[in-house]
Amino acid sequence: MRSENELITLINDKLNPLEVNILREQNMSVKLKKDELVSGLNYLKARGYSHLATISCVDWIEENEFELVYHLFSYEDKINISVKTRIDRDKSKFVTIKNLWAVAQYYERDIHDFFGIEFEGNDDMEELILENWNDIPPMRKDFKTRDYVNEKFEWRDYDGQK
Amino acid sequence: MKEKYKSSKWQEVINWAQKRSLFMLHYCTGCGAIELPPTMTSRYDMSRFGIGPAATPRQADILLITGYLSTKTLKRVVYTYEQMQDPKFVMGFGSCTINGGMYWDSYNTIKQLDKYLPVDLYIAGCMPRPEAILEGFLDLKQKIEAGEAEGYKKYKEEYEYYKTNQEKVLGEVKRRQ
Repeated sequence: MRSENELITLINDKLNPLEVNILREQNMSVKLKKDELVSGLNYLKARGYSHLATISCVDWIEENEFELVYHLFSYEDKINISVKTRIDRDKSKFVTIKNLWAVAQYYERDIHDFFGIEFEGNDDMEELILENWNDIPPMRKDFKTRDYVNEKFEWRDYDGQK
Repeated sequence: MKEKYKSSKWQEVINWAQKRSLFMLHYCTGCGAIELPPTMTSRYDMSRFGIGPAATPRQADILLITGYLSTKTLKRVVYTYEQMQDPKFVMGFGSCTINGGMYWDSYNTIKQLDKYLPVDLYIAGCMPRPEAILEGFLDLKQKIEAGEAEGYKKYKEEYEYYKTNQEKVLGEVKRRQ
């Protein structure tokens, strides 16, 4: 069993991270360059971080970037690591990690639904959660929810007051 | 046709019989489903009013929409409703079915159930307690006896209206041939 501080030394030695932080007890975040992400995940998986809890995504619209967050957990260390990387918002493409974790296929489909990010190597990109979606992906920050609702649904009319 | 039925004594007998044997399809869409187990089981016991749960749409009379409906669920609800046999009654449950409730500005939940299905009765509240549900059931029974719960006939008469609304939010719908 390793402690958080031991992990920091290990990650700094082997992974060439941009930043490593301890968020709180048993929770760490690692920022990696996008070219080094897959090898980084591979390394961590071999060191016991075998559980991919989920993949999430953040839209940093002002910096014109998407941040992908891979949430890993180790049953030996009892530590969560969030491995983060940033990709260009205009060329929203990344590589799949379904060869590392088969379940990633679904997480990537989910992110494709809600953020419109393509994952190279993952061919099955049918809609997973949404159906017949015909607007920009709804979790992007430039998606105007209120306008969409106004256009698609009608408000109930209470005696002429809307 | 409608007037003729209303005036006939035979229809009154049918209505009287109908209201005494109602089966509710247990199809739970939103958080309101949590109020149904106490309504069905011994604490509130809706079977004392002659209402019981049904497992499949083809055997059910009441479709209770319990809470918010995402557009994706709406499609399944429409399929379910169309599988049910006449006479069938739709009850909207909770403020989400009335005007969107707390999901009023959500991109994927519908705001007014009666645009997509013929609602016979709404139960307001967020959430309505089992007492309110039973009150709603009793009101529905009264409406059935008075011959006013005719949503399923309305659905046939205004089929195009409902299908157009459904198509607007679902993108595609199946129409009868």
